[in-house]
Amino acid sequence: MGRDMKNFRRIILRRVLNSLITLFLVIIINFALFRMMPGDPLKYMVPPNPKFTEEYLLGLVEEYGLNDPMIEQFADYLKGVVTLDFGSSFIYKNTLAMDHVLEYMTWTLLLLGVSSIFMISIGMLIGILSAWKRGSSFDTGSLAFSLFFYAMPTFWLAMMMIIMFAKTWVGLPPNNALEYGETFSWSLYSIMDLLEHLVLPAITLTLVNIAAFSLLMRGSLTDVMTEEYVNTARAKGLSEGAVLKDHAVPNAMLPMVALIAITIAYIVGGAFQVEYVFNYPGVGWATIDAVMREDWPVLQAAFFLIAVAVIIANFLADIAMVYLDPRVELS
Amino acid sequence: MKIQNGRERDSPGAEHANKRLLSEPFKQKVKLHLKRSRQTWRIFRGNWMGMLGLVILIIFIVMALFPAQVVSIIAAIGGWEAYEPFDEVADIGIGSPPTPDHPLGTDYRGCDILSRLIHGSRVSLAVGVVASAVSMGLGSLIGLLSGFWGGWRDEALMRVTDVFLVMPWLVLMIVLAALLPGGSSVYKIIFVIGITGWSSTARIVRAQVLSIKKRAFIERARAVGASDTHIVRKHIFPNVFPLVFANSILTIALSILSESTLSFIGMGPDATQVVTWGNMLDDAFKVFAIENGLYLWVIMPGFFIVFIVLGFTFIGYALDEIFNPKLRKR
Repeated sequence: MGRDMKNFRRIILRRVLNSLITLFLVIIINFALFRMMPGDPLKYMVPPNPKFTEEYLLGLVEEYGLNDPMIEQFADYLKGVVTLDFGSSFIYKNTLAMDHVLEYMTWTLLLLGVSSIFMISIGMLIGILSAWKRGSSFDTGSLAFSLFFYAMPTFWLAMMMIIMFAKTWVGLPPNNALEYGETFSWSLYSIMDLLEHLVLPAITLTLVNIAAFSLLMRGSLTDVMTEEYVNTARAKGLSEGAVLKDHAVPNAMLPMVALIAITIAYIVGGAFQVEYVFNYPGVGWATIDAVMREDWPVLQAAFFLIAVAVIIANFLADIAMVYLDPRVELS
Repeated sequence: MKIQNGRERDSPGAEHANKRLLSEPFKQKVKLHLKRSRQTWRIFRGNWMGMLGLVILIIFIVMALFPAQVVSIIAAIGGWEAYEPFDEVADIGIGSPPTPDHPLGTDYRGCDILSRLIHGSRVSLAVGVVASAVSMGLGSLIGLLSGFWGGWRDEALMRVTDVFLVMPWLVLMIVLAALLPGGSSVYKIIFVIGITGWSSTARIVRAQVLSIKKRAFIERARAVGASDTHIVRKHIFPNVFPLVFANSILTIALSILSESTLSFIGMGPDATQVVTWGNMLDDAFKVFAIENGLYLWVIMPGFFIVFIVLGFTFIGYALDEIFNPKLRKR
């Protein structure tokens, strides 16, 4: 037992180290991308905009220390990373870039949280049923369904949802997170309003990502079903349902945890597109908005925040894997 | 060399010698390859998914190669005029719903949507294929080196791979597309998609290399004094290639989706010079086509993307089954 714990601790330590290295590389990339692009760094930090006066530009150069040696700039940047200070937004004056991005975080977390619950549970359910009734019409049908949505650009499905369920039938709200001009409060009206606006974005994000989970669950469970211990369980006279529930599914879960880790980055990309099309005020919307307005400090803050969030999520999924499966080795 | 061969062939004895010395092993090799590809084709033909994908792909390749001709044929069948994708043939403004002359309507530039749709297949397909080639090449190289070298170099390469694996692809693509010089050129889009999409390939290739490296025939090759280059070229690469090939077909599908997404956000090729399905949808979204009831403008380019992505996905799955026979038993 003691030896196991030691091994476990060693693996965890290794994962922590790897995550920290990844984080450090991301921090460097985030600096390099914005400061070391070929050409004049001023061009990237201070985009051409006729509204900016000469004085304002010089002020920016001074404020961001663009004339300092690169090493000094990097040190300043690192200080900024530690204090989460990426400078003020170019567009929203007097707002720190990070504060600006964080304002949008709640909505993204809500959207991602709700859709993740649905995509994982529905995807797994479809996968289990397909593997159980392999070759049935349900299996073929769900495979076709999964692949069809998998092949869809997320933003296009979002537009189709608007055409179908906002314009043609039902009449759900096609944009924003709340009725125009409303702010959220814990009243029944406000909650209903929020849910109504969440339906279409959440369904869109769920539909495009179900396939990844259902296909993997099907494959993983199909593998497990051929194992000896499943046969043993059957031979003991357990019902099909009990075999599935107690013996097959728990063992088929491991690859799912790994998949959730890998898919997080992909789902975030999907959330960006959904937020953009539905005009949903999340981090994705803010990021695309920052790109279009060339608001580099905000873009830098958003890039950093998203990367850190995904690295942490990946790390947690990794740890869960190690915890669930003692066979996982250091790779 | 060629001339000499030709001369020698004139005399009957020389021909015989030539065949035996030069062509025979080569011929055998060709024969073996032919036999193998015929076998592969036979299995592929029996796979309905793969065949369906192939049919879809061929339709799109024809459209991409001869868009003008396809437009004229469709127009001739439907009984209307064939239009060029960049000609302003209708009113400029917000676009118009279908008319007898424009079965899918016109966009806000006054261009015929049907024509743009067909012409869009060329760049959409080309960007997908080339970008996927870039990312597959990069991914294979890094995976191969990483798996073969091992040690600290492997460790370093894998940490870099992790960064690209962990970074949300869309965010990285957007940031790169926004910051890299080169405006909205097609090459820049290809570069951006290629440079962000190689990490999973590198991981797969590395895993495969690691498992091959342990096998006995590599040891034997080393024992008889084969060089590293020889081992990689003759033993490791041929065993990794089928995997990469099946994977690259699937990557094309992803690259096409990436291009359409980038274009949709307005970071793709300039819509007045290059037409892709993604920038058609961008145009539609920008002038509120949905609010104005111009549904076909939104629906059709998306359907084309879905079909071509499905086509590549089907072929990829079929090839995966053929090259990884372990899966076939399922």
